[in-house]
Amino acid sequence: MQSHSIYKVPQGKLLKISLEYDKKKNVITNIRITGDFFAYPEEAIELLEKKLQNTVLDRVVLLDTISSLIAKNHIQFIGVNAEGLTQGIMMCRL
Amino acid sequence: MTEQWRLLQTGFTNAFSNMAIDKAILVGNSQGVVPPTVRFYGWAPPAISIGYFQSLIEEVDIQACEKFGVDYVRRITGGGAVFHEKELTYSIVVPEAHPAIPKNILKSYGRICGAVMKGLHLLGIESEYAPINDIVTGGRKISGNAQTRKLGIVLQHGTVLMDVDVDTMFSLLKVPNEKIKDKLISDAKQRVTSIHHCLGKEVSFKEVAGAMKRGFEEGFHVELVEGKLSEEELGLAKQFEKESFSKKEWNYRR
Repeated sequence: MQSHSIYKVPQGKLLKISLEYDKKKNVITNIRITGDFFAYPEEAIELLEKKLQNTVLDRVVLLDTISSLIAKNHIQFIGVNAEGLTQGIMMCRL
Repeated sequence: MTEQWRLLQTGFTNAFSNMAIDKAILVGNSQGVVPPTVRFYGWAPPAISIGYFQSLIEEVDIQACEKFGVDYVRRITGGGAVFHEKELTYSIVVPEAHPAIPKNILKSYGRICGAVMKGLHLLGIESEYAPINDIVTGGRKISGNAQTRKLGIVLQHGTVLMDVDVDTMFSLLKVPNEKIKDKLISDAKQRVTSIHHCLGKEVSFKEVAGAMKRGFEEGFHVELVEGKLSEEELGLAKQFEKESFSKKEWNYRR
């Protein structure tokens, strides 16, 4: 399945998610995170996209996975956060 | 003795060269071969720059850009798409460890925007910092800013709008929903302003640059000394322009 979402993060920026997922297994097969937010270091977004492959499309799992990746890789987001990313991804689930 | 930083006035160049020069200064500063630097520049031809995380094809009407002779380029900084035409663009490159730069990224935006606001004040425009990355006057945006931190160096670049053409801007940018395009245009006209609009007269690039020079000097308690790009920076800029900013691989990467 392919799906897209556009989500304005509260007090933040516009987040756009393009998602491919396996509906049967309910896992992400490919994800692209775009938008007018900021992340330090910038290249961390590619790492995040890669690490989110094969993650279960579940709000709790996603929030936990994204929060851990942000902490572990010392990523600083401005204009978006783990909750916003989770929301944007979950909005893609048809 | 007042600390001296370098001032570069590189004139009007194309989008790829502009972004390559900013990156070259960052690398030069990280190698300790050039001092902290403030640069003022313009764009010829006019250009759209998009933020590092944006999708070029989702944000920019490529065909319209090509029809109107407008360049498009991906920045190394985050943030949104910007139409660069009648504006002064600044960049500042300074080590993260410099005492003038707050460790906190948002605070450092505020600090650097403070210098731009001092420059606007000298032109007769009172403004304020509107987090995350805007400067507003009378509630309307007059400057957008974007910062990256790499190799221990802060690079922030931003616009100072001298005039604004929202209709042209929207003819070059894609909107998520064509049905509400007219509403988006009228909203943007309410949200954005310019030096021309604020003062009711045109102010030259040179005059804006003069005010911004003083704004950065007062904002950072430094003296800006006019200089040139080093040979090494020029070489790096050419390399970055050729190998990334002018390449499809870079501009279409997201």
